[in-house]
Amino acid sequence: MTDAAVAEVTVAEPREGGVREEERSLASDAWRALRGNPVFWVSAVLIAVFTLMAIWPSLFTNTDPREAILAESRSRPGDGTWFGRDIQGYDIYARCIYGARASILVGVMTTAMAVAIGGGIGMISGYLGGAWDATFSRIGDIFFSIPLLLGAIIFLSSLPEFFNDNYFLVIMKVVLALAFLGWPSLARLMRSSVIQVKPNDYVQAARALGASPSRIIRSHILPNSLAPLIVVATISLGGYIAVEATLSFLGIGLQPPAISWGIDISAAIVGLRTTPHMLFFPSLFLSLAVLGFILMGDAVRDALDPKTR
Amino acid sequence: MRGTTRKVAVAALSAVALLAAGCGSGEEGETDTPAAEAKTGGEITVRGCNPENPLIPQNTTETCGGTVIDAVFSKLVHYEPETAAPKNDIAESIETEDNQTFTVKLKQGYKFHDGTEVKAKNFVDAWNYGAYAPNAQSSGYFMEPIEGFADLQCAGTANPEDPCEGFTPKAKEMTGLKVVDDHTFTIKTSEKVSNLPVRLGYSAFSPLPDVFFADPEAFGDKPIGSGPFKLDSWTKEQAIVLSKFADYSGEFGAKLDKINYKIYQDADAAYNDVLANNLDATDEIPTSALIDDKYKTDLPDRNAQKEEGVIQTVTFAPVNVDPLYADPKIRQAISMAIDRETIIKQIFNGTRVPATGWVSPVVDGYKADQCGEFCKFDPAKAKALLQEAGGFKGDKITLAYNADAAHKDWTEATCNSIKQALGVECAAVGVVDFATLRQQVGDRKQKGMFRTGWQMDYPSIENFLAPIYKTGASSNDGDYSNPEFDALLTEAAAQQDPAAANAKYQEAEALLAADMPSIPLWYGKATVGWSDKVTGVKITAFGTIDYSSLALK
Repeated sequence: MTDAAVAEVTVAEPREGGVREEERSLASDAWRALRGNPVFWVSAVLIAVFTLMAIWPSLFTNTDPREAILAESRSRPGDGTWFGRDIQGYDIYARCIYGARASILVGVMTTAMAVAIGGGIGMISGYLGGAWDATFSRIGDIFFSIPLLLGAIIFLSSLPEFFNDNYFLVIMKVVLALAFLGWPSLARLMRSSVIQVKPNDYVQAARALGASPSRIIRSHILPNSLAPLIVVATISLGGYIAVEATLSFLGIGLQPPAISWGIDISAAIVGLRTTPHMLFFPSLFLSLAVLGFILMGDAVRDALDPKTR
Repeated sequence: MRGTTRKVAVAALSAVALLAAGCGSGEEGETDTPAAEAKTGGEITVRGCNPENPLIPQNTTETCGGTVIDAVFSKLVHYEPETAAPKNDIAESIETEDNQTFTVKLKQGYKFHDGTEVKAKNFVDAWNYGAYAPNAQSSGYFMEPIEGFADLQCAGTANPEDPCEGFTPKAKEMTGLKVVDDHTFTIKTSEKVSNLPVRLGYSAFSPLPDVFFADPEAFGDKPIGSGPFKLDSWTKEQAIVLSKFADYSGEFGAKLDKINYKIYQDADAAYNDVLANNLDATDEIPTSALIDDKYKTDLPDRNAQKEEGVIQTVTFAPVNVDPLYADPKIRQAISMAIDRETIIKQIFNGTRVPATGWVSPVVDGYKADQCGEFCKFDPAKAKALLQEAGGFKGDKITLAYNADAAHKDWTEATCNSIKQALGVECAAVGVVDFATLRQQVGDRKQKGMFRTGWQMDYPSIENFLAPIYKTGASSNDGDYSNPEFDALLTEAAAQQDPAAANAKYQEAEALLAADMPSIPLWYGKATVGWSDKVTGVKITAFGTIDYSSLALK
């Protein structure tokens, strides 16, 4: 071990001379790799467009997604509207644009919540080990054994009516259900990553110098164990959007008047044989959004993982 | 993007075309029956669904079990399939002098499937069994007009959910029913009833053989009736098999030897089987095939549509539950704000008929346009009427529906129509399932408007008025009470001449337009499809397929 350390120092010595070399931290390395990856740019554009749609839908359309012109229901794309109208006579283009908000909100909030819970618990069990680790890991296993979709169906159908009161609560109930069942995989990941980082010399050194556990975690363990969490969280964000659409399709996720791609897909299914455009457009938007996040996760993983380079 | 859409659409369409072609050619090779005249005998397979209760006529109020019950049990009166006109079946005659005491004479030699003869006591016992509350028969309330019905009911207080717990009714038999001899019995009603003979064709008034009373539970799985078909087997969730009753002596015998009801969970699956000629008839065409009249091109010359005795309405919560809708002008304004024609065209694909009154056109005594201008879409007048009433005081109009059936689309469209015409926010609110919605309505907890529907029990104008709008009636969900209306119903019930009775009922119906206890929306239409092996498919006024006229080619 001493030998290796010495050898490293000798190699590192000349590096210190170059100013440019010193800037190459893990993050800047990753950024450099990302910049050169076309997949990253495609997914970044997709995500940017959908995020803009979610924040500011009126930028894309002036049509009210709740304005029903029943007399023109099921009209085809091009008959006065870009994407045609659905069964109720709503403008499908406007519905697709406004549907982004629910999906992005559910995706981002679920991921944030799952990362907070999973990351926190993973950190505690990884860092403290022993009884803490055993307890949290077993609790995680219990949740892990519940299939996501089945668990979410049970969870959502047993929530009180209170959650159907307004738009935010309707979204929150789906977020709660998914985060509640989604955190264990992130916790496991975080735990193993922390266990991997913990025995490193710089952590031992910090401890020897008398740093407090919170300082060790904040400045040494967290930055170095976060990479896998970020990758998996980005990929699962796309997954959560898909699960939200699935639940809404089944009629137990988001409820009207919330606008969601899943709800629209479910309403359009009867027209599969006659007016498939009603089904096609919300499905396309859903697929692109999911694809955007999954591709982004992929690109980030390639960039962060030195082994793939 | 547009290019892609078209490609996908074309691909999907050609896939369907190929599928249809594949099925068609396969069938042509196998069958070589010429389009000949209908023959007697043979076996068919039709769409069935799961009966909710054991197959006892007094306990079946839904259509899944009802179609089987109708084939297996014959009643005093038979309804002509197409016109719903009553005709004596087991009854030789039903006579009355005063609309209160009826003498029923039975035909001699009418037999149950177990060989015993249908006698007067089979009727009296069956009706008493149905009316006796502790037996919990779902159509027991049909016996209500018979004298002594109240003495068979429960009034226990031990359990608010079930008044029969720890309570024994005063009597087990209604005083209004008396057996005179083997083939004669009398019915005495507590009030005058002008249309009792018409009612007696309903399945609740079927006779039950003696074996029923020995073991009602076993009977429910393998009922024994006196109808043209007898039940061979009932495999739960899968199939019900009926075969021709050889000793049937009635006039309404069937042409077929055997009917297999194949039980489907999904209308699409049954429809696809009809398309492929694997199923001979379905009485339910899925929405996916109704769109753009797809079923007409899928099943050319193999489909039919006919009005049935069903009306859909929107009922207002009683005034003391929700005072916002108390003013009849507000109710009329909402009714005039509903664009029935467009909703029917776009949401129901023409499978409904705009309602112009509270009574279905299929029954005797129907009079068109009883609702007048209040059932015609006129946004300008609707808005003016609402302003006259001082506007809507609440923040939004609500329309509750049961979310376990296909009501979401039309309630949403109806609400959009109201919103656009009146400028008042309107929300369609889904309630988990039918039972929950009815529970809330029954407990008078449901506010705002809610969907209500009425499927006729027997073809009479009275059935659309008395049970729903008479003070204190069993299905009076809006607690409607109008002494003038009640008086007219009583007068009508006392009329000897059916035409005079109908005139009184029509007068009563006209009163509803002024008070608007409910908004008539549309009348139902049944759509059926069949395979190219069968012929003579007729739809009854009840919206079911008439299996007595159905035959193989």
